[in-house]
Amino acid sequence: MSLWLMKTVPNCLGYIDYKKCYQHTPPLWGPDGLIYNGSLVTCPRHYMQTTGNLANFFYEPGADRLIAHIILTTTYWPGWDARRYEFDAATGQWTNADQVLSRDPDTFIGIWGAAWTGGATMGSYGKIYACRRSETAIREISWKNAEPVDGGWSVDPYTWNLKSIYGYAIANRADNILAAVGSWTLDCWRNISITPERFAQLRLPNVLGYLAYESRNYCWIITKDGVILKADYQVPRWEMISRVNKPEVSSTGYAIAFDTKRKHVVVLRLRPDAADGSCQHQLEFYYPMVSPAQLTQPVPVTSLKAGKRVILAAHLIGEAGEGITPYTVNAALQEPVEGRLITPFSGTELGGRVCFQYQAPDVACEETLALETTVEETI
Amino acid sequence: MYEKTFESTKQAVPGGAGSSNWTQMIYVTPWDAFFCACLWEWARVFRDGTKAGYATPSGGYTPLPRVGGYTSFYNGNGYVYGAYEIDQLPNPNEVLNPSWAIPYGLAPSSIVGGFIDDLNQRYVRPQNANVLGVYDLKTGALLGSITHNAGEYFKTIAWVQEGQVAGICTDSGKVKIMEYLSGLKVMESGRVEPHRVAAYDNAFDLVATIGVDNKTRIYCREAWPYALSNPVFEPAQVYGLKANTVKVRLTGQEGEPCPGWWVHWELVDMGGGVIGELDKYVSKTDKDGWAWNLYFGPDDNAVGQCRLRTWVVLN
Repeated sequence: MSLWLMKTVPNCLGYIDYKKCYQHTPPLWGPDGLIYNGSLVTCPRHYMQTTGNLANFFYEPGADRLIAHIILTTTYWPGWDARRYEFDAATGQWTNADQVLSRDPDTFIGIWGAAWTGGATMGSYGKIYACRRSETAIREISWKNAEPVDGGWSVDPYTWNLKSIYGYAIANRADNILAAVGSWTLDCWRNISITPERFAQLRLPNVLGYLAYESRNYCWIITKDGVILKADYQVPRWEMISRVNKPEVSSTGYAIAFDTKRKHVVVLRLRPDAADGSCQHQLEFYYPMVSPAQLTQPVPVTSLKAGKRVILAAHLIGEAGEGITPYTVNAALQEPVEGRLITPFSGTELGGRVCFQYQAPDVACEETLALETTVEETI
Repeated sequence: MYEKTFESTKQAVPGGAGSSNWTQMIYVTPWDAFFCACLWEWARVFRDGTKAGYATPSGGYTPLPRVGGYTSFYNGNGYVYGAYEIDQLPNPNEVLNPSWAIPYGLAPSSIVGGFIDDLNQRYVRPQNANVLGVYDLKTGALLGSITHNAGEYFKTIAWVQEGQVAGICTDSGKVKIMEYLSGLKVMESGRVEPHRVAAYDNAFDLVATIGVDNKTRIYCREAWPYALSNPVFEPAQVYGLKANTVKVRLTGQEGEPCPGWWVHWELVDMGGGVIGELDKYVSKTDKDGWAWNLYFGPDDNAVGQCRLRTWVVLN
């Protein structure tokens, strides 16, 4: 299994337009008043904000919204801002654009919420849980301003044996399980409300980008270079590996969320600003389903002798090299044909392999085998 | 030399944060592809040279082949961890040698390979350039040795089938298929071209290599002919008025037999005309590399010299 890209929402959010720019970087105190981070409005850039850091990205089931908490670098006082961006979970449309662009106080989440909370994701009972940057505890937080909920649930892995500090965590309160990432491993803890015990670990393929909760068994991981994995954190084991579509498109980071209503994966790809300073972040919606990216060349795997039957193997694979099933691959010999293709088509096996048989003639010859498969357009 | 069935045009170039060369290549049965490691990257490489990088190495893990055609990881603490089927990432929860920590001196590296069989509790690693050691995975005791005389440390010791491993030398390209459970002997000797990393593909019984040019090469385990022996009559005395059995043997570079090749036969006139006749003009080598024919001696009591010429068309 891999991931099928359903849609991409490019430039999914925007910055406040300054509507003019300066030829030379303006000083902090200039003719137009106080301007922080003057490079933001130095031509050709003309926006008053840019992304400093993504604090949180998650699916909020109550409001049926995708939420991003972003710390911005700004030209206006005090040089930073922290805002809540809301996206329609079905379409990816930025629903609170007017409020954010007019700096509505409701969208301001404050430095305590955004800077001191990170890696928030939905967990048990449809609530949002996050690790804290100012303490070792993991707490239930408000999706609106990312601040801990009064009287909300919390655990502190630093009081456990082994003492642990985590940057990302998912809370499965129903089964008393916590799965969390500090550095290179996903640590799986059980009995977290009684005597916490780290019962297993999964080693990550690379530095974590973001961790998302799917259900009482599954979670999703995206690495900083866009490799996506699904894990069963109760066993635990890896169940799927894939990669974002078009990993070559420039990015500065990735975050992942799981939409539990529509059962799909949403990736927020943070991208560097365009030349004019406009925001290029994009939302990518993936459905966990097969998605072929390439077909490898057929390779003869048996002796090549006149009169012999030759087996050729090829693979249909996704972005991370994962095998793709079930697909049919058609094969045809290119003119001039001298032997005979015994298998004109074949189905992919696990691992994405397809095999073809070719009957060579009794004399020396050279043949070309062409393979093709039909991939339907996105859903 | 084994018969090369494929050489890629694609290059499987090691990726990651810096430049480095591949250090390990391991066939992974559920992938039907190769796990390749370098200093900066873990990747999946297909037989045609297609590469998909998916992970960054860390934590001092050294990959080594495992029974069944899987990756496992030696950690600096002496323990070997299994790997997950989906992504062949080390599984820190599964220690394959809990009762014996493999000492540093016996650890696999990017120069000297190791092989772990946790089903039969064996650890296989070169003792020197000519001898392979088989160790008990429970106690670390040396259970036996296989003298293969390759003259070079095996960089790869890969799983072939139940009870067999392939030792592959990088510089000479020598391949030794050996029994390590019972018998402790070399079953088959072969050769591939010198390369950077190699693996044994247990799905189709191939040797796969990635060269210094980062191209993949696939060799099937059939020796490419190197030498054709002189014809041998059985019995040695040739008579007229009789069918005399004659045979030639086709062998590879290591002296191994080349079965299934067509040998062409011809009687050559040495000045006194062709004497007698052959039963067949082509015959196929058997599994020991012998091609057989019958020579009918002259029925007119003719005496003289006549030459028997044989040849094989390679391509």
